[in-house]
Amino acid sequence: MYQMHNISILVVEDNQPMMDIAKSLLLTFGVGHVIGAADGEIGFKRFCEYNPDIVLADWMMKPMDGITFTRLIRNDPRSPNPYVPVILMTGFSERRRVLQARDAGVTEFLVKPFNARDLYKRIAQVIERPRQFVRSGDFFGPDRRRSRPMNFSGPYRRENDISNPDARERLRAQQMEAHEILRKIREKSGMSPGEKFGAINPNDIDML
Amino acid sequence: MTTGPTPHHFNQPTRRKAEFIRPPNTLKAKVGSGGLAEKILNKAQALLESNSVDFMPLAELYLASLMNGIDNARKEVLITDAEPLIAGILYPAMQLKANGGMFHYQLVTRTADKLIQFLEVIESPDEDALDIVMAFHSTIRGIILSRITGDGGRHGMELMDALDEACLRYFDRHPGQRKDTDFDYIHSVDDQTP
Repeated sequence: MYQMHNISILVVEDNQPMMDIAKSLLLTFGVGHVIGAADGEIGFKRFCEYNPDIVLADWMMKPMDGITFTRLIRNDPRSPNPYVPVILMTGFSERRRVLQARDAGVTEFLVKPFNARDLYKRIAQVIERPRQFVRSGDFFGPDRRRSRPMNFSGPYRRENDISNPDARERLRAQQMEAHEILRKIREKSGMSPGEKFGAINPNDIDML
Repeated sequence: MTTGPTPHHFNQPTRRKAEFIRPPNTLKAKVGSGGLAEKILNKAQALLESNSVDFMPLAELYLASLMNGIDNARKEVLITDAEPLIAGILYPAMQLKANGGMFHYQLVTRTADKLIQFLEVIESPDEDALDIVMAFHSTIRGIILSRITGDGGRHGMELMDALDEACLRYFDRHPGQRKDTDFDYIHSVDDQTP
């Protein structure tokens, strides 16, 4: 079982009742140390002070929101750990909002309202599937591409997907049929195996 | 295999260099393996469901902020950039959506989500759009004042249908007002309440 008492989590949330709920859930999970902060500015101070293992931050806060706070964690020279997993809590679930958060360097996205299992899944995700980081000209943060599982056993996207055994069998049968037709054409027209078909009109060959 | 010259595309110099870093997984080293026991998750969920926080004061704050956003949008009809005006309405709506369900008001979450979907697809907050937003405001206020927790049952469904109809009528009247977005505000009905 996870030894959650070994880790600390910083919760940055300006809504006090919500902060209380998040803290209670984390303590019930057994997290050893839960630190609270009422906005991004205080959050960054606490982050530098405690260097927590995970950050759980709300998006909409004043004076500093969760996105600006995440950028500070990733890029500010004072940041003690720019690689820390940041889970952003928000009511937004629209694609463009998720992309905006991702581009700021957020690791995971937790849509509110959430239940205990949703929160746990995000924490388990950052523990079990940590992302590699990318540093390019204008971006530093978790790799924005999700890696594809190699042992995929779900449904195939295309019926003719070459990795689908049924589709591969169908293709092989079609190929065999085509070879047989070619062989008959050669036989009927007296062509040798290496000879090209350029001069033959397919309409002249009744077996087609 | 092709034997001709390499296509130009592959001969171009790299424009951006990306460095990939795999930080040490200290988190995993600290917590180990095995996940959390079902008993702990159930206990946490029970704790969440039994929270007795009164959502009304918080909701009143967000509703006042939403009203403020509506008033600003009505005053600033000549402003060319509609985004800040929409954002002034959108953010309190998002807070209502996010927090309603956390404090047992799932119907507030569903209603506010529908409002967000409407705001995300309109081009500008014209008078008719603001009337719709006002209808959402009144509905959410009604839910809070009547302390309708949960999904509101049949009455809740009727409310949602009425708001859907109002949005549809708006887009019928203003066919050019809908942004090209990659989701359908009518069909992306939420199902995320705890």
